[in-house]
Amino acid sequence: MEDPQRGSLRICAILIIAGCSTYGFSIGLRNGLEMATYVAIKLPAIIFLTLFLNTILNGMLGLVLGSGLGFRQSLQFLLTGFAIMSVILGALSPVTFFATLNMPEPGAPGSMSWHGANLLLHTIMIAFAGILAHYRLLGYVREFADTRRAGTHAFFAWLAGSLFVGAQISWNLRPFFVSPGLEVEFLRTDPFDGSFYEAVFYALKNVSPF
Amino acid sequence: MPALRADSRDPQGGFEPLEGGCDLPNIMNKLLKRPLSLIYSLESDEDGRQIPLRLLLISIASLVVFGLVIGTFSWQEQIWAAPLKIVSGLLFSGLICLPSLYIFACLGGLDAKFRTIVGVLCGLIALSGLLLVGFAPVVWLFSVSSTSITFLGFLLLSLWIVCAGFGLVLVFRAGRALGMTNTAHLTIWCGVFLLVTLQMTTTLRPIIGTSDHLVNFQEKKFFLSYWREQLNGEYEERDEREEEPGASEL
Repeated sequence: MEDPQRGSLRICAILIIAGCSTYGFSIGLRNGLEMATYVAIKLPAIIFLTLFLNTILNGMLGLVLGSGLGFRQSLQFLLTGFAIMSVILGALSPVTFFATLNMPEPGAPGSMSWHGANLLLHTIMIAFAGILAHYRLLGYVREFADTRRAGTHAFFAWLAGSLFVGAQISWNLRPFFVSPGLEVEFLRTDPFDGSFYEAVFYALKNVSPF
Repeated sequence: MPALRADSRDPQGGFEPLEGGCDLPNIMNKLLKRPLSLIYSLESDEDGRQIPLRLLLISIASLVVFGLVIGTFSWQEQIWAAPLKIVSGLLFSGLICLPSLYIFACLGGLDAKFRTIVGVLCGLIALSGLLLVGFAPVVWLFSVSSTSITFLGFLLLSLWIVCAGFGLVLVFRAGRALGMTNTAHLTIWCGVFLLVTLQMTTTLRPIIGTSDHLVNFQEKKFFLSYWREQLNGEYEERDEREEEPGASEL
């Protein structure tokens, strides 16, 4: 008989691949089928790479913060959280497909404004799915941890780690939305040149009057 | 022997005899799950003598792994120099802070064996080291992505402060469990310890990046002024190149 925990991990992984790939396809579709396929591969890859890089850290934080949740449990919880998020994104993908099909092609008049609108739409969708999924996950973690307080601490520590690393991995795996004037490609020619945080810092410095 | 009492502010207690023996995997496990059981054994058991040594081994092994990951930023001689500097720098920092930890703990009302204080300090370094190993994949990701020494330096210092924070919490918990009545002295010691470790990064420079000299003991600098110089230097270099990556593309 199959170990139920292993079976659950597999189901979560399948849900993440299915949900994120479908949603990713709808993101990339605006720039053609080639880009849609690329984003369908890269979106689930961000989640798996983030979890992989944070596995040891999440396990240690769970134990040190007194939640009683070790390495396997922390991985299980985070996979579940991302699986819920992926299911929500997958469920929203028909809407984003419809929105994408109604947008003018890149290069058409006003494409810059549509690029911005597309970016905003997906940011809102992903943020909505992420908040909803992690809100549910917080309840589960609190329930299973030794104390509610320790569970809350462990959850927010995991979340901070995932956000921090996930932002950098999505920077390395860019492009997703393909800014006007740039080419469609799987990875930029310089995927490991610079970090997300440096880019944000210099962007802020450029707009700052100081 | 002082009266041992359960840590009243710790809902899980944990100040109890060590179960599972003094082997390395068990000590590592207990350091993460129930660190106060190590302190209990240090204070009460004959076997407790082995615990500081085991904690020291965990510290060295963890810091070597973390140092190797940092060394991959520059490769060359830094691949062995960074682990060496991190291990020696942190152990030396611990050594020079040990007398003040003992005196401040005593001033705070703690009546513990010197061996226990050594164990608490080793526990602080070992726990911080283990957590740094947990951060090692994250550091590796940024070391292969970024070419900015300032950014990586800032990231590493932030991670060190987070990890040391967990270790310092352990020191406070141990102090309270061992009967410390006044933690003000310990708070000061924590500040001193952090200050010493931060200054050590400047004393043993460069830990990341390369230099003509492996160490530079002649030129004495305070860590804040050294960091400011590094930050300004990188700004000027960047402005000269006029190659600023934009955050617009995702």
